[in-house]
Amino acid sequence: MNIVLIFLITIFSVSLFFYGRSKTKTISIKNNIKLNALPKFYGYYLVLWCSIPALVFLLVWSLFEPVIIKSIIIETAANQGAIFNDKNEANLIYEKIKAIHLGTFFGDIDSILKESALAYAKFTNLFTNSKVVLIFGIIIASVIYSLKKIKSNNKARDDVEVILKGLLFVSSLIAILTTLGIIFSLLFESIKFFSVINIFDYLFGTNWSPQRAFVRDASSITTAEFEELKDAFGFIPLIAGTSFIAFIAMLVAVPVGLFSGIYMAEYASTKVRRVSKPIIEILAGIPTVVYGFFAALTVGPFFRQVGENLGLTVSSESALAAGLIMGIMIIPYVSSLSDDVINSVPQSLRDGSYAVGATKSETIKQVVIPAALPGIIGSVLLAVSRAIGETMIVVMAAGLAANLTINPLESTTTVTTQIVMILVGDQEFDSPKTQSAFALGLTLFIATLVLNYIAQRAVKKYREKYD
Amino acid sequence: MSNIKIKSKNLDVFYGDKQALFDVNLDLNEKEVTALIGPSGCGKSTFIRCINRMNDVIDICKVTGNIEMDGMNINDKNLDVVALREKVGMVFQKPNPFPKSIYDNISYGPKIHGKGETKSELDQIVENSLKKSALWEEVKDRLDEPGTSLSGGQQQRLCIARAISVNPEVILMDEPCSALDPIATAKIEELIDELKKTYTIVIVTHSMAQAVRVSQKTGFFHLGKLIEVGKTEKIFKNPDNKMTQDYITGRFG
Amino acid sequence: MTKDERLKKRHQAEKRFRFYGLASIFVALLFVVILVQNIFSKGSSAFKKTVITTEVFFDQELLEIQNGASQDEIMEADFYDVMIENLIKAYPAKDRDEEDELLKLFSSEAEIEIKKAFLKDNNLIGKTITLDLTASDDIDQLHKGNYPRDLPEERRRISNFQLIIYDYFVEKKKISKNFNNYFFNNGDSRDPELAGIGGALVGSLYSILICLLLAFPVAVLASIYLEEFAPKNKITDFIEININNLAAVPSIVYGLLALQILLATIQLPRSTPLVAGITLALMTLPRIIIPCRASLKAVPPSIREGALAVGASKFQSVFHHVVPLALPGTLSGTIIGLAQALGETAPLILIGMVAFVVDIPSSPVDPSSSLPVQVYLWSESAERGFVEKTSATIMMLLTFLIVMNFVAVYLRQKFEKRWN
Repeated sequence: MNIVLIFLITIFSVSLFFYGRSKTKTISIKNNIKLNALPKFYGYYLVLWCSIPALVFLLVWSLFEPVIIKSIIIETAANQGAIFNDKNEANLIYEKIKAIHLGTFFGDIDSILKESALAYAKFTNLFTNSKVVLIFGIIIASVIYSLKKIKSNNKARDDVEVILKGLLFVSSLIAILTTLGIIFSLLFESIKFFSVINIFDYLFGTNWSPQRAFVRDASSITTAEFEELKDAFGFIPLIAGTSFIAFIAMLVAVPVGLFSGIYMAEYASTKVRRVSKPIIEILAGIPTVVYGFFAALTVGPFFRQVGENLGLTVSSESALAAGLIMGIMIIPYVSSLSDDVINSVPQSLRDGSYAVGATKSETIKQVVIPAALPGIIGSVLLAVSRAIGETMIVVMAAGLAANLTINPLESTTTVTTQIVMILVGDQEFDSPKTQSAFALGLTLFIATLVLNYIAQRAVKKYREKYD
Repeated sequence: MSNIKIKSKNLDVFYGDKQALFDVNLDLNEKEVTALIGPSGCGKSTFIRCINRMNDVIDICKVTGNIEMDGMNINDKNLDVVALREKVGMVFQKPNPFPKSIYDNISYGPKIHGKGETKSELDQIVENSLKKSALWEEVKDRLDEPGTSLSGGQQQRLCIARAISVNPEVILMDEPCSALDPIATAKIEELIDELKKTYTIVIVTHSMAQAVRVSQKTGFFHLGKLIEVGKTEKIFKNPDNKMTQDYITGRFG
Repeated sequence: MTKDERLKKRHQAEKRFRFYGLASIFVALLFVVILVQNIFSKGSSAFKKTVITTEVFFDQELLEIQNGASQDEIMEADFYDVMIENLIKAYPAKDRDEEDELLKLFSSEAEIEIKKAFLKDNNLIGKTITLDLTASDDIDQLHKGNYPRDLPEERRRISNFQLIIYDYFVEKKKISKNFNNYFFNNGDSRDPELAGIGGALVGSLYSILICLLLAFPVAVLASIYLEEFAPKNKITDFIEININNLAAVPSIVYGLLALQILLATIQLPRSTPLVAGITLALMTLPRIIIPCRASLKAVPPSIREGALAVGASKFQSVFHHVVPLALPGTLSGTIIGLAQALGETAPLILIGMVAFVVDIPSSPVDPSSSLPVQVYLWSESAERGFVEKTSATIMMLLTFLIVMNFVAVYLRQKFEKRWN
């Protein structure tokens, strides 16, 4: 139905364009009126007024119609006597009602379901008809208005440009909308979570085992269960695991990345640089699921084998394996940014150092790097931010056990792994378990935001010095 | 009768395919100030950069010919440039202090070359260098402040102190005053006059008046060739070459 | 330390430092090589499947249809008995157990394959033909050399009797490798020998298409606004800060966003390329805006002024003159953004694409998977056969990405004007 409506609106708008353009041409010639804009702009004006309000209305309506109908029908079913204890059961009944309406339901249909299905049909029709009527109304009103404006010989080009500029502005607002969307999504569930779990238990708890958390609505917890809950959502082991693996990753990425960046900026000939820089950046372009696969299939077991040969117990999902692979992925973040930053250091500083008789490495170590330090630190922080937000490598190669350990040969879990593990599989709405994933997401979001902010400030401060 | 400190013979310099210096033969006398004058882009800076092998930093630059200092061929491939630059210092057109403290700016060179192993030795070297470049009084109480916090003229004197700190024999100056105001310029010219008692100085300058003020010997470059060289007085009062005459009288610049 | 000694030490330190730099680059390049070599060596075998050449006799007594039956009739008919009778004849088995083991050598698709042969030529009743039937996963892996034979029987996946049959087949040249069409045509399957990326491929295609259709226009329009029309005020600054932040948000957060808003609130269908496409579009938006703005910024003011000078409006100057010049850089950035979107896995897992989807999706609102998610799913499976499938999928994915990146770089180098 929506496709049909969109199609009709489009056809109508396009025909209005031709109508508007030719009509204005003929009228201006007939009555010898000087147009305030080229005829085609009058056409554009009509098109914009005819299509935009209607399409926007259609979009908004379509977004909210399913939810509204659902709540109406569920309430109707409840009034009919249907009983459901939580949102999940309500959803189930609603799905049945829909299926009955579509004719795809093959179970027993009791009177409640029957009545509700009838109500569903009634309301769906009502809504669809209202939608069509309203759209027609909107189009008619818009066309009347815009025709009137054209008759008054408006400056069509200017008006069209104002509307288009509005469209441009709205497009750029999408960025803000996305951020708001993210904040809303995370906060909404997190607040529910923190109404059950004390935020301090979360932030400072040292035990993370949400599987233990029961699977029921939070409003009917017994005190005993509540006590158990308190201990199940401690964040500390997760941040420890994330930091530990990120730390191992940086141990690989910073030396290799920094030295690569230094070599490319200071020593490499243009030919070498032109070849090596894109190849290193390939490391950043490889999907992280590929790294995860490589880590899980080859590197993890390899380390375990080597460990066995050396008489050590190494988990096949060791933090070492996951961290090493993550480090490899991050190398280009450090090397490319460092390369750019080092290149920006003015040549005059190097000349001053050479003139005093320093070797190239002395110049780099004692003059160039210190001068480039804020920028380098910024690039390292950005790399850290990338590391802690990384998901697939750790999901596939790191463990699921939230143990606090500093032994890289053991397996440990991270924030991102837990988010995935909690949300994959059957989700129960309104359970602290599902909500905890959002709380984790909120914490991750804030952490990366802060890191990025500091990194950007550092790079900015550095740029101000030398640009 | 002064000794010849640096002697260039048949010196050619190429930037890629373009030739910048043509067959330059120039002698520089010990503990004297030699000025190099000439219109922009005529190769003066290129010439002095040959003396401390700073042209090595530029990839496409090729230098052929002979430059000798104390019997040693500077252009020799096997020459240790690092050791050379300890003996031949340079001050640049635009002051380029390191983004470090004043103290560290000066102590950088000596530390690298292993001069001054204890803190007190370094302190002494820093003090001496700053005194010799007439900056000590102004900065002695704020040696920890960044070198970049000084005024333009002070920064240039800082760079001179830095060059002096490694105890060179020759100081190359590439238009050291072109970024400075007249008062700062005067101070530096005064300094040069003092410094020539200890060091051999070569100064590239755009200002003929400056050349007259500070130098004993002057060389005139034009389009990569050394047109004329001689005692400063002679060059400016009655040069042998017509082109020199034209330049000095401002016929072209 | 004498002066000379010191100099020597310093030069050695210089050499060492330079070496560390070069070595680091080599290490980074080495990782790339090892990774690619590892994946390719594991994956190349997936493009072939092991088949067993078998004689199939279409016994009238076992089939309820006649020669000349219609397509529908053939599809409805039961070929199970025909299959059993013919497969058992492949090798002498002395009891029920051995028969079962013999049958297990063939894939579970054998019946359908026989049916398909009849669909091609519906006059085969009473005739015998030779068919290459797909072998089971165990035989497939054995034939490709992935199963060690020298383990005791209890620790092997293939029994002694099966090994005897296998060796017999090899000797009689009844085992060979054909091109693995299942890998490209089929959707996911529990049997590795039948599993294919067809579904995931189509799912990825739909997702990226929707991502492109949504992200590109919005990103370009937003860039044009920010670069050309936006007044320098707090709102504009705020928008720019937002865009920079969004580019650095971990992708899993976008998954949470999609879960909450697209699935829970608006209730779009789970696991579909539609939702995946919208999510990817939100992620790709800042990645297109940033290069697009850079390209717009690079166009010199003289172009804009020239247009204004002949009486064009600001709008016309921007859209007719500036934007076309910024197009190569923008398109290049878009292609790179899409390449990154193609490889995204975490958010798609959260919106439910980890469901086991056998059918190839026929529209963007059918449940599907995507290439990287398929890699994730298969990597979680225990069967050895999935290792090569996963690696081969990665090979396909990497090939797409390399091509896309090449096109992007080519576009930029060929068409972008350098303003000196």
